[in-house]
Amino acid sequence: MKETFYEVMRRQGITRRSFLKYCSLTAASLGMGPGQAMQIAQALETKERVPVIWLHGLECTCCTESFIRAGHPLAKDVILSMISLDYDDTIMAAAGHQAEEILKETREKYDGRYILAVEGNPPLADDGVYCIPGGEPFVDKLKYMAAGAKAIISWGSCASWGCVQAAKPNPTQATPVHKVIRDKPVIKVPGCPPIAEVMTGVITYIVAFDRLPELDRQGRPKMFYSQRIHDKCYRRPHFDAGQFVEQWDDENARKGYCLYKMGCKGPTTYNACSTVRWNEGVSFPIQSGHGCIGCSEDGFWDKGSFYDRLTNIQQFGAESNADKVGMAAAGVVGTAIAAHAAVSVIKRLSTTSSGSVPEKSDQA
Amino acid sequence: MSVTTPNGFNLDDSGRRVVVDPVTRIEGHLRIEVNVDNDNVIRNAVSTGTMWRGLELILRGRDPRDAWAFTQRICGVCTGTHALTSVRAVEDALGIQIPENANSIRNIMQLTLQVHDHLVHFYHLHALDWVDVVSALKADPKATSELAQSISNWPLSSPGYFRDLQGRLKKFVESGQLGPFKNAYWGHPAYKLPPEANLMAVAHYLEALDFQREIVKIHTIYGGKNPHPNWLVGGAPCSINLDGTGAVGAVNMERMNLVSSIIDRCIEFTEQVYIPDLLAIASFYKGWLHGGGLSSTNVMSYGDIPEHANDYSAGNLLLPRGAIINGNLAEVHEVDLRDAEQVQEYVTHSWYKYADESRGLHPWDGVTEPNFELGPKAKGSKKHIENLDEGAKYSWLKAPRWRGHAMEVGPLSRYIIGYAQGNPEFKEPVEAVLRHLDVPVTALFSTLGRTAARGLECQWAAHKLKYFQQKLMANVKAGDSSTANTEKWEPSSWPRDVKGVGFTEAPRGALAHWVHIKDTKIANYQCVVPTTWNGSPRDPAGNIGAFEASLMDTPMADPHQPLEILRTIHSFDPCLACSTH
Amino acid sequence: MSEQAATAAHRTSIYVYEAPVRLWHWINAAAILVLALTGWFIGSPPPSVPGEASDSFLFGYIRFAHFAAAYIFAVGFLARIYWAIVGNHHAKQIFYLPLWSPKWWKEVLFEMRWYAFIEKAPMKYEGHNPLAHLTMFLLFTLGSIFMLLTGFAMYAEGAGMDSWQHAWFGWVISLFGDNTQNLHTWHHVGMWVFVVFVMVHVYAAIREDIMSRQSIISTMISGERMFKDDRP
Ligand code: HEM
Ligand code: HEM
Ligand code: NFV
Ligand code: SF4
Ligand code: SF4
Ligand code: F3S
Ligand SMILES: [Mg+2]
Repeated sequence: MKETFYEVMRRQGITRRSFLKYCSLTAASLGMGPGQAMQIAQALETKERVPVIWLHGLECTCCTESFIRAGHPLAKDVILSMISLDYDDTIMAAAGHQAEEILKETREKYDGRYILAVEGNPPLADDGVYCIPGGEPFVDKLKYMAAGAKAIISWGSCASWGCVQAAKPNPTQATPVHKVIRDKPVIKVPGCPPIAEVMTGVITYIVAFDRLPELDRQGRPKMFYSQRIHDKCYRRPHFDAGQFVEQWDDENARKGYCLYKMGCKGPTTYNACSTVRWNEGVSFPIQSGHGCIGCSEDGFWDKGSFYDRLTNIQQFGAESNADKVGMAAAGVVGTAIAAHAAVSVIKRLSTTSSGSVPEKSDQA
Repeated sequence: MSVTTPNGFNLDDSGRRVVVDPVTRIEGHLRIEVNVDNDNVIRNAVSTGTMWRGLELILRGRDPRDAWAFTQRICGVCTGTHALTSVRAVEDALGIQIPENANSIRNIMQLTLQVHDHLVHFYHLHALDWVDVVSALKADPKATSELAQSISNWPLSSPGYFRDLQGRLKKFVESGQLGPFKNAYWGHPAYKLPPEANLMAVAHYLEALDFQREIVKIHTIYGGKNPHPNWLVGGAPCSINLDGTGAVGAVNMERMNLVSSIIDRCIEFTEQVYIPDLLAIASFYKGWLHGGGLSSTNVMSYGDIPEHANDYSAGNLLLPRGAIINGNLAEVHEVDLRDAEQVQEYVTHSWYKYADESRGLHPWDGVTEPNFELGPKAKGSKKHIENLDEGAKYSWLKAPRWRGHAMEVGPLSRYIIGYAQGNPEFKEPVEAVLRHLDVPVTALFSTLGRTAARGLECQWAAHKLKYFQQKLMANVKAGDSSTANTEKWEPSSWPRDVKGVGFTEAPRGALAHWVHIKDTKIANYQCVVPTTWNGSPRDPAGNIGAFEASLMDTPMADPHQPLEILRTIHSFDPCLACSTH
Repeated sequence: MSEQAATAAHRTSIYVYEAPVRLWHWINAAAILVLALTGWFIGSPPPSVPGEASDSFLFGYIRFAHFAAAYIFAVGFLARIYWAIVGNHHAKQIFYLPLWSPKWWKEVLFEMRWYAFIEKAPMKYEGHNPLAHLTMFLLFTLGSIFMLLTGFAMYAEGAGMDSWQHAWFGWVISLFGDNTQNLHTWHHVGMWVFVVFVMVHVYAAIREDIMSRQSIISTMISGERMFKDDRP
């Protein structure tokens, strides 16, 4: 099982020649000369695997579940050959203090060299009592492990944004990782959960290129999060044509028309679902008939029903959307105008007939 | 001090206190504290959920059609079962009928979860309690091959295959970077497998890790992704269009074929790898019959997998329904989730507040109000807990009770009830296993029994998958391809004030959601979850929960290395995010 | 303003809205009409079109019309700003409010009383009366900036992260809590602000044309403000 990066690449059908080519490309992209390409090749052939510590806060473990679904590379190759997953309470063999010792040891032995992956988030209310693995508030453990980490990966919408437990009224004050750890690079890999190959893609990129991926304004890797579901949705021609599912399981649904009217959030959701797709490309939510619910977006739980095209405006209470507010306002204004016009007319008529001619109508 | 609980356990907390926190290879955060006597036998057990997310509060005021998505995020491991429970609860409240095809698709989704979850549990969460990875280095690949071929026709079993694997394992261990296998209990005296069996198990650990990815593709086809596929109140979100215009945008022949082929492989893997491994491993451990706990006295299941749509009566459910109390297998009680006297939750020992904590609340009247406090006998502080005080509040799990009884739920409970009801689908495989291992029926009430029942259920579910996929095809062939009923989709068509309950048999046991819908919004939502039953803390009468009961009287080889505790607790497949939600 | 009014008292007509302003006004009005109409359909699409997707582009055209009108609206707004700088002093009026002038505030209150039928006669203005001025600044000028920013931020999403639209307007997304669903919602609310503005604006224009002491509608056509009397 212990294989170097090189061996894994070999096993996946990559020849020594293309391996070396890969190394020289890597060297070139890092601005190094050809001499250093050999160094990289050597390093990848022999180097120690990067320790990864995977902590769980308040979450549902679906990020781990998604991760083990990875097909390329296989999750087992990532876990056993590309990185050293020294701590992940969902799969690790050790428990209790034998498990906790690994945290301490990693901080001492690999200070500044390990990656901290976080699934879920710390609740801050009431001194953190809503998540106390090991008898201590999770937030303390998170800060302790973050302090020695090279970089932090925020897995999923929980770690990235807060996700479901942070939905209103957020009873535990669940808080995304970057709001607690401010002095380390944080790579957000949102999604509820994120796509398996997106997760392994981010990890292997870091390991293979020995640098962090380019991030967008919100801290997400551009390679997977720079476009919306809608931008590459295969139902987009139906959107442009004006062909929509009008009701669940209607004729249009059976023909695979656009789900916009069923509340699809593809137009506002940045994720790789419509391109990478799920579970090795088998499908993705829209392909299986349900709209995107926006699961990789900040606060997607609190925008109103997943089935509404026009979503809620928090400021005006849970029941309102833009059209309801707008029509109400236009109705009030319209009525006021009509009334005002009526009074104006009556005034004008009555003042003229009463004979007390006002100045302004002198020349009317 | 020694006391006897109403459910018949002698608790003695005078011995040495041992803490296991975190309990790993589970979902979520669990803490176990036990007291061991001078012979290192467990005499007192305390199970504590150490997380709470507040989903029941978050659901209030929401659109009931959205609830499935929220509740599904209670857990990503038993992904889908909460969503199914939720749409059933909402449909029950609003009187929505679903099409026959939607029922088949939902059953397929649920059975896929059973197969996946059980397989992953056995190999990736539980196996390392029985399998010593490091001992596999000492195995003879040829003997391993013989062992493998003697129990199954599975093709990956040549000496070369095992030699290659062993070689890679050796390099891995020698690298000094043990990753997830670091600091574990290798060499612990409780491990009983010969090196060859260990090597075979390691091979299947890796094969199962690869194969589980395939199983979930059924969810991907009908629900768009896994984990967390999509669901719909009123049916299933995927349309069926076998051969019409635009069929490629729906469930079509190619999709159906993909599902069918995955189902065949599920049956194959379960029967040629999982069950043979289970029996082989069990045969080395059949002397270790600890961990029975409540299984020999109080078990319950709600039933699931409706044959026909919209009928949730026991007769229409393929998984058994009922409750057994006080060990009387001759009588299976009917379970009524609407009856205010049956399912009730207590919080005397939970970190919640009720107006009157001496009484339990039926979930329709359920209250969730957090209230964290450590008891007077607790050691340490809120920010650094050393020991909990089980005399006071000590867990984020509520304590659900059925007519006042602490109950065990899960595959073993389902099989015991099916067995007691004389249902051959459950009785015959159980008897076959008992015969194969040459153990009495009482051996069922144990850690091993729980693990075995899960394997049998995985096999049962794989076959039922095939059944419902064929049923779906037949119904489409007969001209019905409807998957959703939208008559009551619009909230304006709903009654003003209604209550509903939905239930499933989740991989870990009986699950139900109770919903109160008022003015088209959720007024109250309460989930009572399998691990809430099993991991429950004490109730006001002093009954201990199923986890706690199962640990009682177990001897430990070395309390410092809590392998026995892990083994028994893992046999329930705990899910703490589920249990506290 | 009353100095202006005072000087105006001796003349019957004054040139207020220069040709570019008038031209802009009507082009702008047409653009907004298109924007609101197509915007409405973007929010609530018309019934589905039958046939092959490749045979129609209805929703595409609706959105195209919205974006085309949006560019006209945007260019017009910039041109209008330019004219505020180089044009006459009336051209500057809608871009600022004399919040520091107590007299202006007093006249706002006066106009309110006039609209509440408390004052018997209105005052005379060369440009917009203070209440109109206030409404135009708040609803139209700020409203336009808001619609431009939110609109181009959404447009940037389609144009992609490497587009100039994204470089210039991407920051707006973050103002709305990083989920562009909010952006859509608020842009949509903005449409209703415009609907309300136009309703009030057109009503007031017609009413004032009849009831005030000066010409109104024809002024936006000819540019000449005609006064109906000679009194201050
Ligand atoms: C008075 C001016 C405008 C009005 C009344 C208006 C109105 C609307 C409305 C009602 C929507 C639908 C929003 C939704 O429900 O999602 C919309 C969408 C949009 N508007 Fe505007 N808009 C205006 C100006 C602009 C401008 C200046 C731009 C800049 C390019 C713009 C770009 C967009 C874009 C990109 C969309 C989203 C289209 C889509 O999602 O397919 N709008 N507009
Ligand atoms: C979308 C529709 C419209 C918008 C956004 C709009 C906007 C404006 C703005 C911003 C001004 C101030 C011009 C300046 O000072 O530079 C203005 C003035 C004016 N508009 Fe409109 N307008 C619209 C439609 C109309 C219509 C339909 C009429 C005719 C009934 C009209 C009549 C006038 C008049 C008469 C003025 C001059 C007011 C005055 O003399 O004080 N507008 N409009
Ligand atoms: N306990 C539990 Fe679940 C299950 N099975 C659900 O209801 O795991 Ni997360
Ligand atoms: S992001 Fe979503 S899917 Fe992942 S742990 Fe959180 S709730 Fe679960
Ligand atoms: S289905 Fe959703 S993402 Fe796809 S085109 Fe329609 S609106 Fe866009
Ligand atoms: S709901 Fe999530 S999984 Fe993809 S299609 Fe939408 S981001
Ligand atoms: Mg509950």
